[in-house]
Amino acid sequence: MISFHPKYTDLQAFSAGNCNTAMALMISAHLDMCQQCHHDCIDIQSELAADLFSLSTPTAPLDSQYLAMMSNITDLPVAKSIVNEAINTSIELDGKYFELPRVLRRHVKNTGNWSRLLGKVWQAPVELGDIGKANFIYMEKGGRVPEHTHRGSEMTLVVDGQYNDGIAEYDCGDFTIMNNQHKHLPHSEADDGCLVFTIVDQPLHFTAGIARLLNPFSHLFFK
Amino acid sequence: MLVGISLETKQINSIKPIECAEEMSGYLRIVASDRCKLSFSKIFSYFAPRLRSYALKQMGNEALAMELVQDTMSNVWQKSHLFNSEKGSPSTWIFTIARNLRFDMLRKQRNRKEDVCSDDLWPILCEQTPDANEVSLDHQVTMDEIGVLLDTLPEKQKLVIEAIYIDGKSQQEVADEFDIPLGTVKSRTRLALQRLKEMLKDDD
Ligand SMILES: [Zn+2]
Repeated sequence: MISFHPKYTDLQAFSAGNCNTAMALMISAHLDMCQQCHHDCIDIQSELAADLFSLSTPTAPLDSQYLAMMSNITDLPVAKSIVNEAINTSIELDGKYFELPRVLRRHVKNTGNWSRLLGKVWQAPVELGDIGKANFIYMEKGGRVPEHTHRGSEMTLVVDGQYNDGIAEYDCGDFTIMNNQHKHLPHSEADDGCLVFTIVDQPLHFTAGIARLLNPFSHLFFK
Repeated sequence: MLVGISLETKQINSIKPIECAEEMSGYLRIVASDRCKLSFSKIFSYFAPRLRSYALKQMGNEALAMELVQDTMSNVWQKSHLFNSEKGSPSTWIFTIARNLRFDMLRKQRNRKEDVCSDDLWPILCEQTPDANEVSLDHQVTMDEIGVLLDTLPEKQKLVIEAIYIDGKSQQEVADEFDIPLGTVKSRTRLALQRLKEMLKDDD
């Protein structure tokens, strides 16, 4: 069951095409798993469209510029139908295949190798350029990430399985944004572990015990 | 010509939104079936000036605004056959096209080179999804081979794999269709893919 959704205002910004690309990527992936937000966005888009193309919008009669444009357009051929390109729709770790939301599939080819972060936690970086630092993180059953906060913000989408971070229990499809007010300690007790997709804009800040020693190296995590 | 078109616009202005949507859907159908320029001119007269106000606000200059109007209306002309009025109104369709083109234009302007494209982030609403059976010949051969492999899967796994890979459905859609939890769809997919991979290895 999905219990954590993007805020309604974020769905509005997304639908208008006004949110940043990292957020758009996250929300789009969430919509692939969440019917509720998917329908909300369809409604928002038709409201935006109705406003934009309202009958009451005053418009001037078309001038010659428009008429020239129109005749250029009607000279164009019909668009060819697009043949679906075959792309990898899942990522693999240790013989386990994880199906991805549609919008993330394009990025499988830009995903680096898995490396072990700590104990039972694995990470594969996703090259997204200046969109943000993105990673797939996989927690095996019993795997945990030391307690940390974030200097910037961390967006997380559960792609498969469940995890708990001491604040709440997250199921697949759940979307969260953590910032420096949240301290959390993610771990998974799910039999198949848990795969999440995260985008962070700043390194993590470890807060508890011996893990504080990791702070100087925190740029190595989830970078 | 000039006067004629402005009159049409006024007539359209006097009707209600629902009727307008129906009327525009009708024109789109005729454009799709007959490449009818007159029907397109009705759609164009209504949407192009309204798009321009949107585009000016978004792009901040006249030249870019008109480029966005032109690109959007070109898509309408070239893809009218993809519009599906059962999935929504012409307004919503045209809005989502304009929004996506705007995103791509802005990224291009800022010289962003990442591999993201608006149609991935925001699937265009009210369009027919491409027919999954339309695959190239090369691909077809592999599909036949895979068909043989799929038949060796347990029925439940096979149904899920077919729905996702052949019909192109999302996992959530599959969950709804079969009335099973999303997690079950995921585990069935995973098991099936593992199995297929093993079989492919044995083939080598
Ligand atoms: Zn949601």
